Amino acid sequence: MSSPAVQIRSRVPRLAGSAVERARLTVVPRRRVQAARVPFVTLVSLILLGGVIGLLLFNTSMQQAAFAATALESQAGSLSAREQTLRMELDVLRDPQRVAERAQAMGMVPAVSSPFIRLSDGKVLGDTTVSTPADNLRIRPKAPSLPASLNPPPLVVDAPADPAASGESGAEKRRGNGRNR
Amino acid sequence: MPSSRPQTPAGRPAARSKRGSAHLRLRLGFMVIAMVLSVFGARLVQLQGIDPNSYAAMAAAEGLVKVTLPAERGDILDRNGEPLADSVDGLMVVADPYMTADEAPVLAKFLANRLDVDYFRTLRLLREKGSRFEYVARRVPSTIATDVVTAAKAAGFEGIATRPDPIRDYPAGDVAANLIGFMGTDEALGGLERTFDTQLSGTDGSARYEIGGGNRLPLGESTITRAVDGEDLRTTIDQDLQWFTQRVLRQTVEDSRGDSGFAVVMDTRTGELLALADHPTFDANHPLASPEEDLGSRAMSDVYEPGSVQKVLTLSGLIDAGKVTARTRLKVPGSLARQDRVIGDWFPHDLIRLTLAGVVAKSSNIGTVLAADKFAEGELRSYLSAFGLGQTTDIGVRGETPGILPDPSIWTPQAQDRIAFGQSLSVNAVQMTAAVNTLANGGVRVSPSLVRGTATTDDGRRVGTDTTTTRRVVSARAARQTTLMMERVLDPEEGVAPGANVPGYRVAGKTGTAQRVGEECGCYDGSFTVSFAGFAPADDPRFTIYVVVQNPRNGGGGGSVTGPAFAKVMGYALRRYAVPPTGTEPSRLPVEW
Repeated sequence: MSSPAVQIRSRVPRLAGSAVERARLTVVPRRRVQAARVPFVTLVSLILLGGVIGLLLFNTSMQQAAFAATALESQAGSLSAREQTLRMELDVLRDPQRVAERAQAMGMVPAVSSPFIRLSDGKVLGDTTVSTPADNLRIRPKAPSLPASLNPPPLVVDAPADPAASGESGAEKRRGNGRNR
Repeated sequence: MPSSRPQTPAGRPAARSKRGSAHLRLRLGFMVIAMVLSVFGARLVQLQGIDPNSYAAMAAAEGLVKVTLPAERGDILDRNGEPLADSVDGLMVVADPYMTADEAPVLAKFLANRLDVDYFRTLRLLREKGSRFEYVARRVPSTIATDVVTAAKAAGFEGIATRPDPIRDYPAGDVAANLIGFMGTDEALGGLERTFDTQLSGTDGSARYEIGGGNRLPLGESTITRAVDGEDLRTTIDQDLQWFTQRVLRQTVEDSRGDSGFAVVMDTRTGELLALADHPTFDANHPLASPEEDLGSRAMSDVYEPGSVQKVLTLSGLIDAGKVTARTRLKVPGSLARQDRVIGDWFPHDLIRLTLAGVVAKSSNIGTVLAADKFAEGELRSYLSAFGLGQTTDIGVRGETPGILPDPSIWTPQAQDRIAFGQSLSVNAVQMTAAVNTLANGGVRVSPSLVRGTATTDDGRRVGTDTTTTRRVVSARAARQTTLMMERVLDPEEGVAPGANVPGYRVAGKTGTAQRVGEECGCYDGSFTVSFAGFAPADDPRFTIYVVVQNPRNGGGGGSVTGPAFAKVMGYALRRYAVPPTGTEPSRLPVEW
């Protein structure tokens, strides 16, 4: 166990002593690196702040969008209701019955003939009778006749000689009629 | 620290005596804390252990909105896409009597003025005791309802609100009302509305979302099931032609003082029904204002005996079977004694010599019976059956009658005599139109249809133009000869219905005046069914029109009552579809020999 190191040391020439001394390992003293704290903290704070503000803005904009959506939805609803009402009015306006009534009121009568002109020889085909008011179509139902109870025979009253008495009885009669109706 | 401790008791003896011992204070403090914590714990157990769900539900319900998205009912359209029935967004106006009772008279007056509701009824509703929900008005156009409710709120009234309530609107009122039917408050009650309800109604959707302050929360819960709107139903009806036909029909029935009437306009080549008019009819917007028996389609549900119109079917069958021609000569006596009764003609005559064309032109029963004697047994019935009599037309109208074509077991020679000229069998109007149309279409029967494309009825049948079938009933030659004979009916000198002529066009037609079975006695009661069926232009037919009036009281027959109505409708149809006259010479078949 009288180690080879001892033998080497004993064999090492003296002049190497200083080199050996220099080659001895020592603990490197810890270098205390003072990392700059400020930029890191600033960065983190900025990220945090940015995130929070971003979230806040995003949320706000989403809320704004929700308000806008609600407003637009109600506007769309009222517009579509308006459109449908207008379409309903249009349907009423183009009801064939209404068109016919307007036409008749303007003095128009339905056509009884519609002749055709053959272009090849210029010949007129078909009937060329002109419509007259007699050709008019009755487009409204016949007025129903009143039932007998609502259409009583005229009541004939002999007028009395005394004018004062007649006025009284006349008023009474009118009241009576009013009740019957 | 330890070094400073001994100094404290000596330094502040006075403070110690005031606050008591530290141990005592600590214990008291811990006790208070323990009590508070155990209250918290008990509350925690109550919230989480005993009844967690109801609180969760309450939290969720706060601001959660559930709405039904109503499906829009499909429209019923005419052949040009004009709406015969359409759906409009509507609202119902509802009241909460709890809130409205105090101001009921003023509010009722306000609503009665603006909403077309009865003041007294509204007043009663607004004061209804113990109720929190009453309908003030239903099916109000949404613009009006919203305006009224906004105005009511502005005027300081409370307890009035709106709910969705789609409106069914029939823009043309009574036009085709008998076919379309009508809607009740919440379900289809008749006609096409009911038959094709599955297709028209669609499926309601729903939406769930959270709201806050009236706005939808952007990240809140949101579930939407879209509504599936109903499909439109497109019919073959031409709205304007239908309107015109209805007005002509009404005028005809009113002027002849008849009970009722119907008219059918059919496209000869496709079998599409361009108009199917009934009188009396009703306003589909106010169905309850009309008697219940007027709400269906008489053209489909009335069975009646067709009378002489039937003769053209009999005779075309005879010609097709090769038994006769249009020039066959017949000696027609003044009356004809058959097995069980004497057959007469509508006009008195001695022995006359008529051709077959003359039999048609003068509408002779005796001549028809003599000609029909040439049929082999069962032949007439098979022809009539091929023309479609005795079978429903299946066009998709409710309550259609198949008519009555007597069974072979009761088909006696006597019955055949009467059937040959159109008594002892019953038809419906569309059946008969399709049968006459067979002659117009060169002997090929086209099945009639009312729906364009296809649609499935509520009993599962597929109907519509896509299911149209055709079959040859008589030869083209027989159809042409019958048409030439029918032209003679409108001849001013020889025929019985000159009033049915459309000036400038060749028209073929046939009158019918049939004894009518009365409803009370179930026997011929002396009333008549008068009719006219025809088509034009005779040598290239485009339309077949059939007009029937039940029980006219002015003594008129098929030629004088329904003939002019036929002419008006036919003239209108030819003009409307720009059908030029063919310009050929009319039929000159001899009627006598």
